[in-house]
Amino acid sequence: MLLRDRSPAKTAARPALRRHRWYVPLVFVGPVLILQGTFLFTPLVNTFVLSFTDASTVGGGQFVGLDNFATLAGDAGFWAAVGRTFLYMLCTVPVIVTLSTSLAILVNTSLRGSAVIRSLLFSPMVMPLATVAVMFQFVLRSDGLVNQVLGGLHVISRPLPFLSSSNLALVSLMLVTVWKGCALATLISLAALQNVSGELDEAARIDGAGWLRRTWSVTLPQIRGTTVLVGVLTSISVLRIFTEPYVMTGGGPGGSTETIVLYLFEQGVSPGTQAGYASAISLALFVFVLAAAAVTWIVTRGRRA
Amino acid sequence: MTVIRTGRRSGPNRREERERVSRGEAVLRWVLMLIAVAVVLGPLLWQVTTALKGPGESTAGFPGSLVPSEPTLDNFVTAFTQIPLARYLLNSGGIAALGVVTNLLLATLTGYALARIPFRGRNVYLAALLATAALPFEVILVSTLLVTRNLGLQDTLVGVVLPQAVSITSIFVMRQAFRGIPDELEEAATIDGAGPVRTFLRIMLPNVKGSLAVITVLGFLDSWDHFIWPLVILSSPEKYPVNVGVQYLSGAFSADQRVISAAALVVIVPPLLVYMLMQRHVFSGLAGGALKG
Repeated sequence: MLLRDRSPAKTAARPALRRHRWYVPLVFVGPVLILQGTFLFTPLVNTFVLSFTDASTVGGGQFVGLDNFATLAGDAGFWAAVGRTFLYMLCTVPVIVTLSTSLAILVNTSLRGSAVIRSLLFSPMVMPLATVAVMFQFVLRSDGLVNQVLGGLHVISRPLPFLSSSNLALVSLMLVTVWKGCALATLISLAALQNVSGELDEAARIDGAGWLRRTWSVTLPQIRGTTVLVGVLTSISVLRIFTEPYVMTGGGPGGSTETIVLYLFEQGVSPGTQAGYASAISLALFVFVLAAAAVTWIVTRGRRA
Repeated sequence: MTVIRTGRRSGPNRREERERVSRGEAVLRWVLMLIAVAVVLGPLLWQVTTALKGPGESTAGFPGSLVPSEPTLDNFVTAFTQIPLARYLLNSGGIAALGVVTNLLLATLTGYALARIPFRGRNVYLAALLATAALPFEVILVSTLLVTRNLGLQDTLVGVVLPQAVSITSIFVMRQAFRGIPDELEEAATIDGAGPVRTFLRIMLPNVKGSLAVITVLGFLDSWDHFIWPLVILSSPEKYPVNVGVQYLSGAFSADQRVISAAALVVIVPPLLVYMLMQRHVFSGLAGGALKG
């Protein structure tokens, strides 16, 4: 069974190398199969099944057809969360992509000491997001760092209500997402930049192209694949945004920072809440994530063709 | 997996570039880099000064308040005595240790089988892994909660660890590593009379040390960062891992900002240390892996 795909000659040349008993692969893959069967594949299938029932998180549930999806389609709270999450994505993704690419170009230098700068810039990447959010809660308070600095520089006359105003709260959360998200994005972009050959740049330099021109027309096109990848990764992570609103505003004030996952959490996690309805929300989230990936994939293909 | 070392270039290329950078450009770059660093480190340094402030000091009032006038370590002491920070750290340590061990063990076994043992259904399994690699955990959050609860693992550390015991990324990292080992090496060992177990332990494992280090560090960082799952599955606050605990404290009681800042710094130190020590080996690998998909 195991040597089926090998030609006889090759088998003869390789003595007894891959002759394993039938249970050998099972010993290797078995534990993970059991784990993933329990905690990955079963929940995935169960999410589909539950979304057609009125089950609560404590159990039970009758088949209700498409009722959950019908309710979801008319659920103003859900659509508000969807709109907010997409707004969040629309604002943060371009900023993170632009900022991280610029930072990567900036630190892609062999100036003495720049290696230290690089590791400092990447460090937010490894900090736990929840703790970062707790810290920024203080940074953005009315007597927090940002208000102190802005006030001290006489940019503002009284503290801005970063987290307590429904107009500003979502923007404040975006700031945190950008602060944390830029680190990994910059690292990935920098890795791509370091693989860019210097020859084209050299040729452009000889032709008299200035630094800006060379960066824009020579360097950036060469890392476009990576830039798109950063965009996709960031978009997907922003669709899943939960920690920042949960920790910093709890979805408030007045629901102004409620995101899809926060809404899902509220509908589906406390005992007695609606597992069926939450499953329908989960599937909607999955569709959004797939759509974000597909859109970017199509865009990339179009550009490469 | 190709390893790209950040900051390293071939010798001649590097020298050439250093000569080319004009004084003006160097100054401009440094100014911009320092601004970026200030934005990244500013909030952290402010937490440090806040954590060092005495009880009588205001945390507000720019610019005087940015430096503590009566520096003290009392807030750190309070963080460990008044709030259960040590308990939380212990929980996190346990969760991280368990998670790292399961991830290492399981990813190595599965990655090895996927790379070097042909078996029926291997491609199907590989496809299933690839498909679910893109699945956000939040999508199956509610169902995973139900499964874990039905197994009687709610509110247990095992319940925290098991659903995320092995990451698909780690499996792929190990698969790539084992695929990179030449067949001849394995053949030579067999000809020398080594059995499969011996070959695995003496030939295979030593050749993937680098990747083992990568998934150890990534597993630790990942586990330290987990938030939504422990929050959902644990109902007793005394079982919280540290970052869930700190946010719980900062929200539940309007605790002293100085103490919470001190606690937050304690939470951030372990992953930062790991990062500082391992970055050269690991993050270059991470970037390479991300690029190669």
